[in-house]
Amino acid sequence: MSEQRVTRRQFLSYTIMGVGGFMAVASVMPMLRMAVDPVLQVEAGGDFIATTVKVDELTNEPTRVDFQFEQEDGWYTSNVTQTAWVYKDDKGEIIALSPVCKHLGCTVNWNSNKDHPNQFFCPCHKGLYEKDGTNVPGTPPRGPLDRYKYKVKDGVLYLSRRASAVRGA
Amino acid sequence: MRWTAQDFSTFTLSKEYIDTVLIPMVPISFDERGKDAASGSEFIQMIAIEIERQFKGRILLLPSFVYFLNFSDQDKKMLLTKWHHELTKKSFKHLFFISSDQSWKSIVEQLKGELIWIPSIPLEHLDGTNKMAIIDNQVKQLLNFFVEKWQAAEDVNA
Ligand code: FES
Repeated sequence: MSEQRVTRRQFLSYTIMGVGGFMAVASVMPMLRMAVDPVLQVEAGGDFIATTVKVDELTNEPTRVDFQFEQEDGWYTSNVTQTAWVYKDDKGEIIALSPVCKHLGCTVNWNSNKDHPNQFFCPCHKGLYEKDGTNVPGTPPRGPLDRYKYKVKDGVLYLSRRASAVRGA
Repeated sequence: MRWTAQDFSTFTLSKEYIDTVLIPMVPISFDERGKDAASGSEFIQMIAIEIERQFKGRILLLPSFVYFLNFSDQDKKMLLTKWHHELTKKSFKHLFFISSDQSWKSIVEQLKGELIWIPSIPLEHLDGTNKMAIIDNQVKQLLNFFVEKWQAAEDVNA
């Protein structure tokens, strides 16, 4: 009987293992949560980000607007900078275009090529877009520039984190 | 394009459009030059990433060419010759190394390669916005450089 008794050493080692087992569970939980987080991010992606632009400063000439936000991507957070070309159309409606060329993703600029005034020009393979983002046929892009959604709060322009495709052209 | 699986697939499908390779040259050293080396690496990589962002559809940004500052000129030349050889075998029309280390100038010249050399600006005490402004400014000048190089090549072919 006495041999069967749990020695002090054994008891300690059981206890430690018990605690260790518990700790392992505790550390798996946050990791699981982080692994799932990017999925939740998609929903949060609908958020609007404040720009430094006041809506009444906007004209009918596209101007470059940069805005930043933090993005959680699995284990680390990164700073994302987005750019939009923003102007008011003839009806006074705000248009916020993505500068990412729909051909292979270079950054397009407004009115930057003297042969193509008042158009968006892609320096990589000479892609062209009209002011409203419609791609000019005969140039490499196959679709119009994406658009950001926007909101106005207290006179300040807010833009969606991501631009999305528009139909047409 | 970056050196990722996804970009690589795009690259294979659109090879004729992605005709330019950019390679940041990044020094390592653990002596008194270490701090400058690290700061220079950081600077060059930020510039390279921003160039890629602007010209994603035409430039393939490769992982950095890493070297130790105590390599002899001969070692450096040998290493670079190999890289240069491999990359010119492929159908890239333009190949640019980018560095803030002056010692590469003559080596790259001997290989008849192109080196973009920019003196490094220490960024460690700047906050995000100021860092971006500096990088932006440098990159803006480089964008014209690329466009001019591309244009010059077209003019020759035309
Ligand atoms: S990436 Fe813009 S035209 Fe090719």
